[in-house]
Amino acid sequence: MAAWVKGGATDADTAIEAAASLLAKARAPVIAGLSADVAAIRAAYDLAGRLGASVDTAGSVATYAELGSLSRVGALTTTPAEAVGRADVILVVGDAAWQAPLLKRLIDAKPTRGRTAGSDRVLLAVGANAAASLAWPAEGGLPEAVGVLRAYARGHLAGDALPGQIAARLADAQYGVLLYDAAELGEAGIEMLQGLAMDLSEATRCFTLASGDVGQDRAVVPVSAWLTGQAPRSGFGRRVPEHDPWRFDAARQVAAGEVDAVLWLGAVPVPRPDWLSAVPSIALVADGEAKDAEVVIAVGQPGRDHGGVLWNEQRAALTFWPASAPSDLPSAAAVMAALRERVGTHQAASRSEPAC
Amino acid sequence: MLSVIRGGRVVDPTASRDSVGDVWIEDGRVIDPPGREPDRVIDAAGCVVMAGGVEVHSHIAGGNVITSRLLLPDLYVSEAAPDGHPFAHAGGAAAWIGSTYARMGYTTAVEPAMPPTHALGTQLELADIPLLDRGALTVMGNDDQLLQLLRDRQGGNAVRDLVALSVAQSRGLGVKCINAGGASAFKDGALRLSLDEEIPCYGLTTRQIMGSLLDAVEAIGVPHPLHVHCNNLGLPGADDSFMATLDAAEGRRIHFAHAQFYAYGVSDPANPGTGGFRSAAERIARAISDNPNATLDIGQVVFGQTVTVSLDILRQFAGRKGAKPKKWVLNAGDAEGGGVVPFLYRPRGPTSSLQWAIGLEIMLLSTDPERTILTTDHPNGGPFTQYPRIIHLLMDKSERDREIATLPAIVGERSGLPGLEREYSLSEIAQLTRSGPAKLLGLADRGHLRPGARADVAVYGDDTDRTAMFTAAKLVLKDGVPIVEDGEVVEWRAGRTLSLTVESDHAMEKRADAYLTERFGAGLDSFAVPDAAFGEGTENFEAVPCRA
Repeated sequence: MAAWVKGGATDADTAIEAAASLLAKARAPVIAGLSADVAAIRAAYDLAGRLGASVDTAGSVATYAELGSLSRVGALTTTPAEAVGRADVILVVGDAAWQAPLLKRLIDAKPTRGRTAGSDRVLLAVGANAAASLAWPAEGGLPEAVGVLRAYARGHLAGDALPGQIAARLADAQYGVLLYDAAELGEAGIEMLQGLAMDLSEATRCFTLASGDVGQDRAVVPVSAWLTGQAPRSGFGRRVPEHDPWRFDAARQVAAGEVDAVLWLGAVPVPRPDWLSAVPSIALVADGEAKDAEVVIAVGQPGRDHGGVLWNEQRAALTFWPASAPSDLPSAAAVMAALRERVGTHQAASRSEPAC
Repeated sequence: MLSVIRGGRVVDPTASRDSVGDVWIEDGRVIDPPGREPDRVIDAAGCVVMAGGVEVHSHIAGGNVITSRLLLPDLYVSEAAPDGHPFAHAGGAAAWIGSTYARMGYTTAVEPAMPPTHALGTQLELADIPLLDRGALTVMGNDDQLLQLLRDRQGGNAVRDLVALSVAQSRGLGVKCINAGGASAFKDGALRLSLDEEIPCYGLTTRQIMGSLLDAVEAIGVPHPLHVHCNNLGLPGADDSFMATLDAAEGRRIHFAHAQFYAYGVSDPANPGTGGFRSAAERIARAISDNPNATLDIGQVVFGQTVTVSLDILRQFAGRKGAKPKKWVLNAGDAEGGGVVPFLYRPRGPTSSLQWAIGLEIMLLSTDPERTILTTDHPNGGPFTQYPRIIHLLMDKSERDREIATLPAIVGERSGLPGLEREYSLSEIAQLTRSGPAKLLGLADRGHLRPGARADVAVYGDDTDRTAMFTAAKLVLKDGVPIVEDGEVVEWRAGRTLSLTVESDHAMEKRADAYLTERFGAGLDSFAVPDAAFGEGTENFEAVPCRA
């Protein structure tokens, strides 16, 4: 096992001991990233619960834009396979969704199921785009543009301006899909887009679909919900799960000096944030290097070095990926379990020390 | 280790047993008195001893349950973590579900709605429910692959093979159909569907789809009968849908989910759409009594805030206007998708009071409590945590009268509840919550205390306050191991997930793989629930055989 402490190569046991010591001593630890398979995500929550740590994810900007909107207004959604099989009209909102592999699947196919089967598929756009049959540049910002579309759809605005034409095409659709990128559209925009889909579905069928690849955040959200009853971001310092997207924003916590140790979990490679170097940190990462953190433990990549359950973007579900190139690298879940045991030993020792 | 639970009032209706006596346990099983000295004596004097409770219909895992937590983060209250588990007091979490059931003396629980597209996620979530044995029913009846087979008249064997493959892949315990064809119809613009209405684009009806699944379940030998969620849930006149569905079963075994929501007769036949509903409990109870092939669970309503979760997206879409608070989620997903609509059963409201009365009425009119099983369809009628209160109401006429006195007069005008004198005995409660559900699921090793039974045992302090008695058991054994003492969890052990052993047909595997690859860009492998997903050396599943 490859491991480093303060830049020096060491053995697994020394690295785990150093990491456990750092975490056990910390008053406000954070477990962040959670770019990993379900077994490691579960282990991360278990460790966080026992440490009283808070948890934040690698893709939390996009994730929380969706969760914030969801908890306020709900959602009306479809899945990639249903959109490919049924959508007769697709509205692409913003620029980022054009890069999504899903859009290519949508462009390459026609509806095959239900009442739209055999019909042509029409592409509309909010944002300048030559590929769409109707594109509205919407230079005033995306959330505002979606609001204008909604006003046309509800009849608050009338006329044959571009947004009016787009709203009319959506109203005429039999299975409309509003494709967006959560990080780009943001919480307010998503909320407005859900309202647009809901309004249109009073008379026809229209659903939203997030296109962006937010990595394993889509695995973290359900695991967090079933383990703790709450979505990320959350904290366990008071021995009850507290869901608070502002308070437990790891970047904000580090900037405010509220954190004294971070464990970064990146078994599925994902860019590491700059703030990681500002605090004493532990990195459990695939293809790790000495410079990644104060304590670095190289772990296997799920689906490559060992089998694991990951979010499958194409299937929009958790699926199992066997090891494609099995190796001896430990799984992140196994390292977390060892850490948990070692942290327990530290905690028991500190409890037995006299108070003064 | 040889143990004896000594001197308790042992209630086991399957052995006509309701008397003070002993229960002997060794190696996780109930045994005959062995004529040896026990290693451990559990004093149950003054207590009631029953088999562990068995839940047949409670939404405890899956996409809808997860969405409900995200939509309503404040639905449940969390308390500080107990020793031994960081999230067991986190309201609504998997560990909270397991520990709350266990404290009530339940030891087995079944999630009734597992879509094959999300089987692995559902199974992983179930595996994180501690203390209980779990299971899940595989949902079919709206997916294009099945509907295509039926449309193209490929025959009963093809349907049987597809059902067997779906159960085997998802590792389900049984099969459920939810408003068969309704989700498909919704996606094609429909707003309601009845048993013989044509489903757009397929030329099929609910009757045909359900009939094919009833046949498939029998052909495969699934111990649990087809678990059916009918059309028109919750609408005045839904009793007609229930009766028509029962007729359509044509004597085949059938289980009706949350029947209370169908026991709504039209109140004013001249204005069926606007006149509201009245209790059809008598009609439903008589139908079950007259049809030994049929069973039901109640879906009892309890007052207060809850959230409705259902794969019946046709119904959930219609219900969105009644969302309280005003927000809802509907996913027109692969096959059924799902719908989550918050709902308030208004305390002392006329509609909710009538619903509350109808559920109790069905149970109190039942001639066979083993076939009219207690559920709240958690969380749809209310949380399962209300079972002790419901048991109290069934066992105590004066307690019922006190509650009815606080409710609007409609309870007496449109239901027969106030006139019912019956009080359930402890044996009947055991039928309603133990032997009935275990028989229904085909689990011969639980729901009773005869020799050979799994040593899942609940010991309650006998208390006329039945709510208190059944909320916190004095002792609960799971496989002979104490997991609850004096109402608190003492051992955080993992149960198993019960999964039917089904052979799938190789030709159907190839066909399904090609179909799924075309539709999802990923084949049959991506629908699998392999042991390796649950961790090295973990035995998560326990095999349940098909009927001979």
